[in-house]
Amino acid sequence: MQTEQTKSPCRLWVGTSGYSYTEWVNAGFYPPGTRSGQMLPLYARTFPITELNFTWYQMPKAAAIERMRRQAPPGFRFAAKLTRTLTHEVDPDQWRGQASQYRDGMAPLVQARQLTAVLLQFPPSFSRAPQNRRYLAALLDELAGLPLAVEFRHASWAADRVFAELERRRTTLVAVDEPALPGLFPRLDLVTNPELFYIRFHGRNARGWRSGNMQMQFDYDYRDEELREWADKIITPMTRQAGSGTIFFNNHVRGQAPKNARRLISQLIEGGLL
Amino acid sequence: MNPYNRSIIHLNVADFAVAVERAVDHRLHERPVIIAPEGAVRAAVYDMSNEAYITGIRKGMALQRAVRLCQDVRILPPHPHRYEQAMRDVLKRALPYSPLIETGEDDGHLFMDATGTGRLFGPPRDVAWRLRRQIKTDLGLDPIWSVAPNKLVAKVATRLVKPDGAYIVSAGEERSLLAPLPVRLVPGIERDDLLRLREFNLTHAFQVAALSLEQLAVPFATRARLLYEAVRGIDPSPVLPVGQKPPQVIADHEFGIDTNDVHTLESVLYGLVEQVGSRLRRRRRVARRIAIVLDYSDGMRRARQVAARPATANDLTLFELARRALQLAWMRRVRIRHLRLIGARLVFPPAQLELFAADQKADEKRSSLIGAIDTVRHRFGHEALRFGRTLAA
Repeated sequence: MQTEQTKSPCRLWVGTSGYSYTEWVNAGFYPPGTRSGQMLPLYARTFPITELNFTWYQMPKAAAIERMRRQAPPGFRFAAKLTRTLTHEVDPDQWRGQASQYRDGMAPLVQARQLTAVLLQFPPSFSRAPQNRRYLAALLDELAGLPLAVEFRHASWAADRVFAELERRRTTLVAVDEPALPGLFPRLDLVTNPELFYIRFHGRNARGWRSGNMQMQFDYDYRDEELREWADKIITPMTRQAGSGTIFFNNHVRGQAPKNARRLISQLIEGGLL
Repeated sequence: MNPYNRSIIHLNVADFAVAVERAVDHRLHERPVIIAPEGAVRAAVYDMSNEAYITGIRKGMALQRAVRLCQDVRILPPHPHRYEQAMRDVLKRALPYSPLIETGEDDGHLFMDATGTGRLFGPPRDVAWRLRRQIKTDLGLDPIWSVAPNKLVAKVATRLVKPDGAYIVSAGEERSLLAPLPVRLVPGIERDDLLRLREFNLTHAFQVAALSLEQLAVPFATRARLLYEAVRGIDPSPVLPVGQKPPQVIADHEFGIDTNDVHTLESVLYGLVEQVGSRLRRRRRVARRIAIVLDYSDGMRRARQVAARPATANDLTLFELARRALQLAWMRRVRIRHLRLIGARLVFPPAQLELFAADQKADEKRSSLIGAIDTVRHRFGHEALRFGRTLAA
């Protein structure tokens, strides 16, 4: 084991996917009696970044985003999911207007330079069919200028031409840890954007993954060895290829995400990456 | 459970009647649709699609005027049974998530208290989204939804995202959400309050929220507390459990041809009384309240009720009460399209006998007669024995 480390030039941010979970009060991450409106400042005492998932459920509104931004300390960072009407429930006649609304909603974070990435997470049904390829290209054009990261759930997107195009656009391909189930996008350590890599830990609950219930899908507690393997074999090489990276834990059930995130942070500090 | 950290989901199927009709007939999509009784001279618009709304058509507007505003509008008659069934179907899909669910009067509204269900089903916003997706897939209805710390704010939030979308309001955001809104959008503030507020040039929630309770009490007296809390998004009212509504026995009749003929109506009414009475007797209950709901051919609705003292399940007594309620409700010359009889406040039959022997004897005779009719019908079918007045219907 190394006793003296040189800190990596790659800037890393580790956090969780979402921060407003009442069950994290019971799990001990938040003090007893914490209300949902008080959670972000408390969360920011532990983590430097969060991934906003409410922006998937509803179109972000600039006023609400600004109010939220002010609750966090100045250096705090945000990643934000793209709204469902642009990834899961796309209306061919409406989506360009929706993209414009999304950009407006995110403006306070862009202006304050606190937006690390916009996460375009596509559903398992979004395969590499011609119409989906055309849509993705048009969507990336429409959102150009925002720091974009694309997460696929369908294995058909694992193709060299896709990676080359993402590289050309300097768009981040999200690396995922999830159950090894057939048809899912594989675990890859590709860096397609030299400015940013993006990793999401969903947990490895194979039984719950397709249950349709988030509490089962994301119910997983990573073992130290599993996190260590990621830190050594995947994250370390990725830090050599990008100027920054962000890592999120989505296994929110029973407060496992903040617990695992803190554990990974400790390991990254030990490895000289943080 | 912390009462100030609740998660209330509000689902609202916009233009519910039209949405239900569209789920039945897909040809109605993306074209202006009005729900209104056809054929009546003074029919009024009961509901309309957004396409019709854009042309200037409004609820309650005379149908003739509405048709002038939008000549290619498709007019459909109201189908109350369809709307009730659709509401039951929506409720059925919501029930697995919480026992605390309140539905509106077949109007596509549903409140659900999802507080504390996160460990089972995940965050309330995800429950709301999944429920919406399920209702869309199964029923062809596409509700808008909100999640908020109370019913008042949840309702305002769904008003802000019409005709489609979603709104999540976190605890602590209630006041800032309401502040820029016109006071007419805040539930609970009634017409008289609005007129009084306008006299003080108070048009928006933030202006009213700037006043203290004492200041509001000067012009609004007992209404001051409600106003004070409403504009701040304070609403401690609970979401009532499913089934909290007291049980009722309901019978309906929709006239093939709208009528205002007394004999026809009373004939139909007796048929409804027989249905309600028979169901009450089978359940061994008596009704303490009899209500009539009339739907006129122009879309207007009127409801009246009378108390039954003592509570009864006897057809002959029920008919007298129902006829009295009908007379109270039937105040217009417009023909009637739909008649509903409700037996409410159901209780066990009273054990106490009538005070006077004559009344007691009359009661016994009525009970014996209805008992004998029930026995005959049970053996030979309902049509085996009919009252003369029902033959006219």
